[in-house]
Amino acid sequence: MIGKSAYKNRIELLQGTLDMLILRTLQWGPSHGYGIVQALRTQSGEALQVETGSLYPALHRLERQGWVQSEWKQTESNQRARFYSITRTGKDQLASDLSRWRQMVDVIGAIMQGEPRGDEV
Amino acid sequence: MRLLRVFERRKQDLEEEIQTHIRMDVQARIDRGESRVEAEEAARREFGNLALVRDVTHDHWRWNRLERLAENLSYAFRVLKRSPGFSITVILTLAVGIGATCAMFTVVDRVLLRSLPFEQPHDLVEILESGKHGVTPGPYLDIQQWQKRSHTLHSIAYFSANLIRVSFLEGSDGTTHVSAPLVSANLFETLGVRPALGRGFQEQASSVVDPQDAHSIILSDAVWRGVYGGQSSILGKVVRLDGNWFTVVGVMPRGFTFPLGTALPAIWKPIIIGDADTKRLDNGNPSYQAIARLDKGKDLSPAQAELNVIQADVAESYKNPDDHEDVSEIRLKRYDDTLVNSKVRTALLALFGASGLLWLIACLNVTSLMLARATSRQREIAVRGALGASRWQIVLQLLIEGLLLSGCGSLLGLALAASMLKIFEHGLTSQFSIHERLAPNLPVLAGLLLLTLVSSLLISIWPAIGAARADIEPALRQGSPQQGMGRAKHRTRAFLVVTEIALSLTLLVGCGLLLRTIYALRHVPLGFRTEHVIVANMTIPSYKFAGKNMTTQLYQPLVDRVKHLPGVESASLMTQVPLGNTFHMMFSLGDSGNSPDAIRRRNLRAEFRAVGPEMQRVFGFSMVRGRFFNEQDTAASQAVVIVNRAFVKAYYGDERDPGSIIGEHLLSLDSKRKAQVIGVLDNERQVSVEKQSMPEVEVCIPQITPDTGFYSGAEGVAMDLAVRTKLSPSAIYQELPEVMRGASPDLAASNFTTMDQIVEDSFGSQQLAAELLEIFAGSALLLCIAGIYGLLAYLVAQRTREMGLRIALGAQRSNVMWLVLRQAGWMLLAGLSIGVGIAYLSTQGLRTFLYDVKSNDPWTMVAVTLVLMVGGLAASWLPARRAAGVDPMEALRTE
Repeated sequence: MIGKSAYKNRIELLQGTLDMLILRTLQWGPSHGYGIVQALRTQSGEALQVETGSLYPALHRLERQGWVQSEWKQTESNQRARFYSITRTGKDQLASDLSRWRQMVDVIGAIMQGEPRGDEV
Repeated sequence: MRLLRVFERRKQDLEEEIQTHIRMDVQARIDRGESRVEAEEAARREFGNLALVRDVTHDHWRWNRLERLAENLSYAFRVLKRSPGFSITVILTLAVGIGATCAMFTVVDRVLLRSLPFEQPHDLVEILESGKHGVTPGPYLDIQQWQKRSHTLHSIAYFSANLIRVSFLEGSDGTTHVSAPLVSANLFETLGVRPALGRGFQEQASSVVDPQDAHSIILSDAVWRGVYGGQSSILGKVVRLDGNWFTVVGVMPRGFTFPLGTALPAIWKPIIIGDADTKRLDNGNPSYQAIARLDKGKDLSPAQAELNVIQADVAESYKNPDDHEDVSEIRLKRYDDTLVNSKVRTALLALFGASGLLWLIACLNVTSLMLARATSRQREIAVRGALGASRWQIVLQLLIEGLLLSGCGSLLGLALAASMLKIFEHGLTSQFSIHERLAPNLPVLAGLLLLTLVSSLLISIWPAIGAARADIEPALRQGSPQQGMGRAKHRTRAFLVVTEIALSLTLLVGCGLLLRTIYALRHVPLGFRTEHVIVANMTIPSYKFAGKNMTTQLYQPLVDRVKHLPGVESASLMTQVPLGNTFHMMFSLGDSGNSPDAIRRRNLRAEFRAVGPEMQRVFGFSMVRGRFFNEQDTAASQAVVIVNRAFVKAYYGDERDPGSIIGEHLLSLDSKRKAQVIGVLDNERQVSVEKQSMPEVEVCIPQITPDTGFYSGAEGVAMDLAVRTKLSPSAIYQELPEVMRGASPDLAASNFTTMDQIVEDSFGSQQLAAELLEIFAGSALLLCIAGIYGLLAYLVAQRTREMGLRIALGAQRSNVMWLVLRQAGWMLLAGLSIGVGIAYLSTQGLRTFLYDVKSNDPWTMVAVTLVLMVGGLAASWLPARRAAGVDPMEALRTE
């Protein structure tokens, strides 16, 4: 169970990354769950297959945080679907997520590129 | 319910969302060239575990917890329904404890926690002068000094109110009884309340009302709505109050009244400061109660110190040096503290404490039952654990069961509380001077909710912790109900029972002490007869008799008519019947000089009563010396007075023959008539049954004329009519008011009661406390016995095999019985000895209540201990008999 305010696992890389990716996708315009999966797949060159088992909980979590909002609309193929769009606070969150992510990439990158200097026995 | 619907809709939404997702996926696959069957299968596979997605997503919704709670509740309900005997026992037990506490809390809330209808009421202080003869209100000259010189107190206002005095507001459709206190110009400002309509009294100088307002009055909301239908045209209207004309200038807001302590609606008249106020007279200045405001949240002591310094100078300005000692100091008290006297407060808190004890005993009893039940439910809980319930979930489940039980107990308790308040309404409202209906209100319901939560925690936390700690595996492995398990639990239950015994003993001791007090009070020689006497406490329309002699025009004709009613043996008047406590007049002698006799007589304070000549026949007063008043004592004959034995003793300061006072001149009825002592009454109880007789002086009503100094004080304010009947009092109840209505319509509203009732009311607080404690202690005793029985019966049932084995191996049945009785005896001894200790300490709080019995009275302690001992042993007799009656063959075969 998740408390009212605590946004759990923010530092947990995987979950945090999924939230960030969803927000990023929604920046290009409102989309439904299937659309988001497809977008992420194409964007990543078919490399990233998002589990639906994580996607929907993530979407509902983001909605509770007030970072996305949803409404039922018709798709181009005339199906009723729930469209998610990013909110203002969601955009702020994305920006801060992005800078944290960049920082982390830099830090990890620096560590990983450095030559191992230990004395070999 | 709305919440549940929203929750359902969200579930459907999610379902639809998932279906849409799959449909889109299928469509995309078909578009790519897959067959429908293949596409559907692949889409489902890719989507993954549908149920898991649903569950995980649900978890992110806030409402989920509520849904779980509802599930838990309905499960708890089913569990409790399965064992109705247990549930009903628990609910009834809790209802008794919670009901008693809730009822007493209602009274505490009404009396001690009520909010006064003023701004920041806690900062209001009452200022009175104090000295050798106790506390008195001060005259304007003194108040003026305080106003000028005090820096710690603001807006010192003053008022004069006689709470028992009824004023008569004449309207077009009849007369309304009101109270009409006199107030200074700044009183309402001091209280922080403005008129809702119109204005307050105009101020001429600081706090002094402008003489132009001398005939203005301000109405309370109750009078405005009740008499004038709430019309706004009331301002400027001229009305008749006590025979004088006044103009209404304002109406106070709803709910406001001042001073508190009367049920009559109020009308405020201005205090007009006149010559009697501004010149120092000997004993002649009118005096006023003063009230002022402290700085917010400030302490009382600096103001007290400051006023004492001022008062030292004020006392100097009194001409008569004797008076200095009467006004030498100031007594400052917070106004809200003056409303409840400390005896009542102690009484109330003691009763509240007693109800709390009963609640605790009930909770202990239920805890013990819950523990026994937890043992027999070990398997069920173990199965739940094995099926994957977490410890937290099991604990939660048990807590919710506790909550459900205590919730039901509270509902029933609320009903019990309401009926208890109804039954004791007369006692509670008259003892704690409550003027509104007594019923649980919002703060009480909030308290009840809290009590419910605490009770549920108390009764279920112990079993819950036990269940959370228990291992699943051994509980599942053993086939039959466990033996040898839960030794710690038995010890816990024994400990609970011991505590119960100790607490019950405390309540029983309190109850016993009060019963002894009541017995002693009932056997105090009162000095008068009470049976077959009816008393009417009259509301006197003195305004109708201005300029007339009330003695001859109202009182004597009334008494004559009452005497002719059928069944009336004798009837007479008295300013206040003994123990009436409606009105007091004090008498003091004005001896001058400095001889020890003169000083002693100056300090003598006596009860003063005006009495009709036939009163001796009504009350059967007995004379020590001389005679009582008779028909020959009239306005034309020699003026006479009667004193009592206590007066003679105080007058002479020694134990000489009471007859020696006969013939003395104590007072004058007017300039021409010196009154002579003609008789000495035996002492009688005057103020309360508990208090020894005070000195008393009585004068004869037919001798009082409007010229008599105390005529208006004695006849115009209070008069009781006492009637002795041959029949039962109820027979005359209908006719008496009619006769009085005939004498003057306003008299019909008088208060009728019997002398027996007045005597009962005199020790009403003890009576009430005794009755409530009888109920509390009786319930505690029952619960306690049930607790002992429950535990022993359970232990015997658990040990049936062991008992059977012992008997099979040759143990005597008496040995087995002894085994059980020993356990009971051990618990009783421990409980009783702890209880005697607690009772010894806690009954100290009852001391102000007790009469003729000490708070650590050994007889009461012994008697109560015996009662509990016998009750406890009786409770253990049955289980012991059952243990001894175990058939060894059967007990061993059950395995």
